[in-house]
Amino acid sequence: MIEDLIIYGLISGAVYSLLALGFTLIYGVADIVNMAHGAFYMLGAYMFYIFAVEYFSLEPFLAVILAVILIGFIGMIVYRVFIDPVLDDIVAIMVVTLGVALVFQQIIILHFTGSDIAINLLSGSVDILGLPVDYHRILAFVVSLVLFAVLWVFIRKSKIGGAMRAVAQDREAAMLMGINTERLYMLTMAISASFAALAGILIAAYTAANPQMWTSPLGMSFAIVVLGGLGSIKGSLVGAFIIGYAEKAVTIWTGMAYLEGATSFVVLVVVLLLKPAGLFGKRREMEE
Amino acid sequence: MVLSYFRRGYSTFTAKVIDVPPRLLSFLFFLLLLVFPLTKPSSDLLQTLAQYSTLAIFAASWDFLVGRSGQLSLGHALFFGVAAYSTGGLISHFGLPLWETIPLSVLICVLVAFLVGFPCLRVKGPYLALVTLAFPIILLTIFLGLPSDWFGAENGITGLPVFFPIEKGLGWQAQERALYQQSIAQYYLILLFLFVSSYILYKLAYSKTGIILVSILDDEVASKASGINTTKYKLMAFGISGFFAALSGCLYVHSGHTGSVGLSSLALTQSFVPIILTIFGGLGTIYGPIAGAYILMFLGEFVLHDLMLGLAGLMTDIGLVGLGQHLEWNISTWVGSGTSPGLIFIIIVIILVIKWPTGIAKSLVDKLDDLQEARELEERGKKK
Amino acid sequence: MYLLEVENLTKRFGGLTAVNKVSFHVDEGEIVGLIGPNGAGKTTLFNLITGFLKSDSGTVRFKGKDITRLEPHEIVNEGVARTFQVVRPFHHLPAIANVMVSCVSPRGARKLEWLKSPERKALDMLEEVGLTEMMLEPAENLAHGDLKRLEMARALATEPELLLLDEPFSGLNPIETDYLLKSIRRFHLDGYTMVIVEHKLHALMKLVKRVIVLHYGEKIAEGSPKEISQNKKVIEVYMGRVA
Repeated sequence: MIEDLIIYGLISGAVYSLLALGFTLIYGVADIVNMAHGAFYMLGAYMFYIFAVEYFSLEPFLAVILAVILIGFIGMIVYRVFIDPVLDDIVAIMVVTLGVALVFQQIIILHFTGSDIAINLLSGSVDILGLPVDYHRILAFVVSLVLFAVLWVFIRKSKIGGAMRAVAQDREAAMLMGINTERLYMLTMAISASFAALAGILIAAYTAANPQMWTSPLGMSFAIVVLGGLGSIKGSLVGAFIIGYAEKAVTIWTGMAYLEGATSFVVLVVVLLLKPAGLFGKRREMEE
Repeated sequence: MVLSYFRRGYSTFTAKVIDVPPRLLSFLFFLLLLVFPLTKPSSDLLQTLAQYSTLAIFAASWDFLVGRSGQLSLGHALFFGVAAYSTGGLISHFGLPLWETIPLSVLICVLVAFLVGFPCLRVKGPYLALVTLAFPIILLTIFLGLPSDWFGAENGITGLPVFFPIEKGLGWQAQERALYQQSIAQYYLILLFLFVSSYILYKLAYSKTGIILVSILDDEVASKASGINTTKYKLMAFGISGFFAALSGCLYVHSGHTGSVGLSSLALTQSFVPIILTIFGGLGTIYGPIAGAYILMFLGEFVLHDLMLGLAGLMTDIGLVGLGQHLEWNISTWVGSGTSPGLIFIIIVIILVIKWPTGIAKSLVDKLDDLQEARELEERGKKK
Repeated sequence: MYLLEVENLTKRFGGLTAVNKVSFHVDEGEIVGLIGPNGAGKTTLFNLITGFLKSDSGTVRFKGKDITRLEPHEIVNEGVARTFQVVRPFHHLPAIANVMVSCVSPRGARKLEWLKSPERKALDMLEEVGLTEMMLEPAENLAHGDLKRLEMARALATEPELLLLDEPFSGLNPIETDYLLKSIRRFHLDGYTMVIVEHKLHALMKLVKRVIVLHYGEKIAEGSPKEISQNKKVIEVYMGRVA
């Protein structure tokens, strides 16, 4: 039982951290609460399906890359068309992105008629601590952590990363220093969306995909980000693992798998009630 | 002299601060709704109108909360669904009569509204919206997992009584007539609720309470400094909104030929309905969502439905059979059915928010106001 | 009994003590000045007295009643009103509606006789401060000087006994300054008790009989304007060390 928890919690946590990172990035840098974040997660899974199974029969690896890049692109378009016109109005952004998410949902329903689909990445498993763990989950774990590390380094060391941190701290000052915020936002959005898409593919591969699957990741992202403190990258990592473990714990101990989706929302509400500033309680600084 | 100056100031002031639709327009509008059944519409149409009327109340309740107290609710379906399930559950488990379950359900829902309002006091902006988003999703998940004799799990509760039930065992023709009369009776009943609800909400929104709520929305600290107990009013807004949302939920369940309540009443799409209706009509106006409901109903049921079918036919004719068939089969997803908003409307709302944030009904009223002001200025110019 | 009695009021923000055991009192009908360099804790003190900040220790008594732990709106309804250093109008509401909010609050509505409506009272208040012409203008369109007057009208509309004014003269041109001086004198004659935080000392000293000086959160001097201007410590604080 405990091994279940440890191993699966670990894997969930790693993949969730990718998801949360995308969310906290776009919020930290551009102050955008992207309600369609979960939708990118969903689109990732479905795009992979289309590339690998339905329309083309590409190698899974290639399909993943294509799907992720495509969603990144879609993310930029969503920003440019829907978010940019209402950038200063938080309410409008939320309503619009929620609408966009619903639109994506309906489009998926139109095409896939609302039933679940299954994706396959790798097959085979290995034994860890006496538990058979799919290769695929291990892959998810490794890929997630590697990408997280890459992004972390990117933000701390590269010029663009520095620009992101600058804009996160003070948009106006950054603009005065000549940083092109619009292009930066688009890039951030692309990264955010592609990370969500990747998380979607990785997770859907061992669960399933359905047109309503975008709400849980949204709640989860928010829960993690609130837990870890907004704009804090380290916080996203820690928060992701906490949520990952919480979810698995609930599932394992109550035996009701369907509660998984609601867990993160419950955590979200509880955290917001008790400590609205989150564990790391930083404001909008993209520091550790 | 001072009094006349004041009187003029007052009327222009209310007209500027909080727009008042010309009384005539509202009167005509309700008159139209009142006499509509005289045109002998089909039973289905009456049902649809009744349905949209309940959604109008639902949307108005949302507008009161969001447009006046500024607390963005992305999970208004919670109130709708809780009330709907309460009345359904009370009937199926305790066999209570309608006129007992509805007030009870509304009461339960108001309590729930306060329960939601409390945590919302501590958070604001996107966090508040997220909290409201979370609740119906949590509840939905719980309901899905509960044993089916509790709340019907995925299928919901069916076979519930409706308003003005008809006798059993009537002959075919007599039954048709009875059903038609039922539809008419329900139509008027719901219209009555709409009149009363919109009047109350309107009065609240455009009075002392409304001004206080707007002041809290504008600057809560300043409002406190003016002696306002902002906590009390923010909670009150939730309570009032929840009350009318609950009413609409109950009305919805018990109208039609058979009553039922399902998980769709808690779904996100249900939460998006008042957003669509209100944004269409004008946020913060109360009359906006109501107007929006009817405009969209008109568009959806008459214009778009036939348009889509026609388009589908056209596509098939010119050889794009695939597209044509797709449109025809999926018309409900595109246009919407029942309370599920169609894809087209979601897209329209998105465009509206981006390009035309004031809302259609409000823009109309603004235009009328401008015309009236221009006329007044002209009058004054003439007097000089 | 003093109208306002502050005893050992203290507020810490992490490692910084913004207000340190400050004690003073105000008699009914007085105008008291509160001065000190930037960051001395004057606004924080106001926030503590009016309930917008919770103190760590100490008490605030108004007309003998302990108001230390009360909520801001409750304190307003006891009879203590304040204005803000940086004006806080209701931007989207017209001037008259701004004042009306105060008129529909519990205390503000108290003085409405059966003939008077909140709108009527709001109009009267606007007249008091000379803003009648602007009554329908949305607050966001008003000039700074007008906003200051609006702020005053809103505070007065709550029927206070004690007025706490935070830098009422800031940003005013000489004409507006003169008008405000006259207004404050008039309010004083009407019976309002006032505590005024101000940097424009020349204006302040014309109004007050007593001055309290804060520095780094502590009260370092108290006395008449003349006494304060000759107080060595005060001079040091404002001018820097003298030899």
